[in-house]
Amino acid sequence: MTHALKKLSRTVCGVVLAASIGVLADTSAFAEEDLWPTLRAEAFGDRPIAEENGYVVLETPKKVEDAAIVPLTVRIPPHVKDKLKSLSIFIDNNPDPKVATLNFGPAAGVGGERSFATRVRVDNFSHARAVLELEDGSLHMATKFLSAAGGCAAMQAKDPDADMAGIGKTVVRTFSPALSSNPIWSGQVMIKHPNHNGMQLDINTATFIPERYVREVTVERDGELVFKLDSTFSISTNPNFRFTFAKGDNNELDVSVVDTDGVAFDGTTKRESGS
Amino acid sequence: MSKQPCDMPSAGRTMHPCDGRVVSTLTRRGVVLAALASASLPLLRHLPAYAAIDDVTEVAPGVFVHQGLYEVQSAANGGDIANASFVVGSEAVAVIDTSGSAKLGVQLRDAIRAVTDKPIRYVINTHMHPDHVFGNAAFKQDNPEFVGHYKLARALGTRKEGYLAANEQMVGSDAFAGSEVILPTVSIKEPTKLDLGDRELLLEPQPTAHTDNDLIVTDLKTETLFLGDLLFSVHVPTIDGSIAGWLSVLDDLEQRNVARVVPGHGPKTMELPEALAPQKRYLSAIADDVRRQIAEGKTLEEATKSAGFSEKDAWELFDQYHVRNVTAAYAELEWE
Ligand SMILES: [Zn+2]
Repeated sequence: MTHALKKLSRTVCGVVLAASIGVLADTSAFAEEDLWPTLRAEAFGDRPIAEENGYVVLETPKKVEDAAIVPLTVRIPPHVKDKLKSLSIFIDNNPDPKVATLNFGPAAGVGGERSFATRVRVDNFSHARAVLELEDGSLHMATKFLSAAGGCAAMQAKDPDADMAGIGKTVVRTFSPALSSNPIWSGQVMIKHPNHNGMQLDINTATFIPERYVREVTVERDGELVFKLDSTFSISTNPNFRFTFAKGDNNELDVSVVDTDGVAFDGTTKRESGS
Repeated sequence: MSKQPCDMPSAGRTMHPCDGRVVSTLTRRGVVLAALASASLPLLRHLPAYAAIDDVTEVAPGVFVHQGLYEVQSAANGGDIANASFVVGSEAVAVIDTSGSAKLGVQLRDAIRAVTDKPIRYVINTHMHPDHVFGNAAFKQDNPEFVGHYKLARALGTRKEGYLAANEQMVGSDAFAGSEVILPTVSIKEPTKLDLGDRELLLEPQPTAHTDNDLIVTDLKTETLFLGDLLFSVHVPTIDGSIAGWLSVLDDLEQRNVARVVPGHGPKTMELPEALAPQKRYLSAIADDVRRQIAEGKTLEEATKSAGFSEKDAWELFDQYHVRNVTAAYAELEWE
């Protein structure tokens, strides 16, 4: 769905930014257009979405310091007892507004606070949204406004050569809870990947460096699905995910990753010893 | 001799010297001139409405430095926040960083012309940041070589639109009028000397540190080392490359014997090795705290609330840049 929108946004990337600061008044309507009704209809049809009802909490920085690495945390407070079905994260005004969608499995866990955190790129002032779907099919949304004016520059790598080195290295960690009776553990996946957004001009060839980003991450605990995540280049370079999962027998995580070139990577806590 | 436009992306054309090939010794005759003179020159009105860049000081014979303000770019300062320098030889002049707008570049050029009529042969940018490069446009009329690290062209090429829009927004469209991104016509991949007539400049590209395109310049005659933003003083350092790389470059710089260094932000001149100490302390404080927090399983958000805060009172503009520095450090060091 977002493909056409994404391509359009790319070609007018600089124009949108200029419009937002009043240089090109005639295109300002595009920058200020509320995209959410369209995004919502594409993702959820006309299903009702409860807003800010305490089922899901979205945390973003008060002030965005680096638009290329904006930490974003979704919490599902402990009073929510239901099993989780899915979680979708949007940044309305990004070139690809659909940041990530998680479909949870049996090892996602119940009985405590659940959470998911990652780092995103923010192209312009925008709403960020987390839409949680519970097992009963009900939808719950939390929204925050991101004051980020990084523009297209925010999408540029600090050190493109370092980013390409070691591509695919996937580090997985688990963190046991302070209380051993807690049925919820947490884990982390770090993937070395430039997450090219296709917007970087290669000045030697006058062409865009092709987009190449992590599009799918599957996390299993002791062979059971925690979640399968579909992601876009709105995730920062070197995608990083912190999440909760149900305590199991061994609490071993296996992670498989696929990028848009169809290249697969994997990581596990099993081979890591001595910790 | 064929002319190759270096300021435009040129598909499939990779002629020397636009392609970043090694140029070990440069002379005026040995390099291909960029066809910049044929490009339309914007009319640059000379109307300094704010602090003027004609405040330059001769810090050593033939070496002049203008000191920028310890501020973020604004309408009030017009983008005059970084140091800009020039060196005068018996035959030619080299400019080292051009400040943050075409208008400031014009003022810098006027300051040069107040000192000498010799041709401005080289405009050297120490790295990609807007407060060091947007004055370049003022020197197009001199048809100089624009000289930078071999990764400068890529860095500026990918950031061009963002830099132009952001800086115009910060200083205002009037103050920013005429500013443009001018890509290097000469790319430096290994230590290279430029001859200005009876004095040589040594250009040394650095590994990723403040940015991935830092270039340092030594005037061998007076042993003046221009460090660009590899050295901040008073103004808090900003990390846009690699904190580990920067600390290791500082270890190398500490060993050098020169008469003086010129920081990118700070006083006109300082001395080694003392000049580097506060910045090394700042970067080490962040690196140490962030490494410990990563080992403890702390998140990026947690790190941004505490790492390096012992340095808060030691720097100007700490509130503007520190959290961003910690964010960059964390994202880098978690991969160690
Ligand atoms: Zn800089």
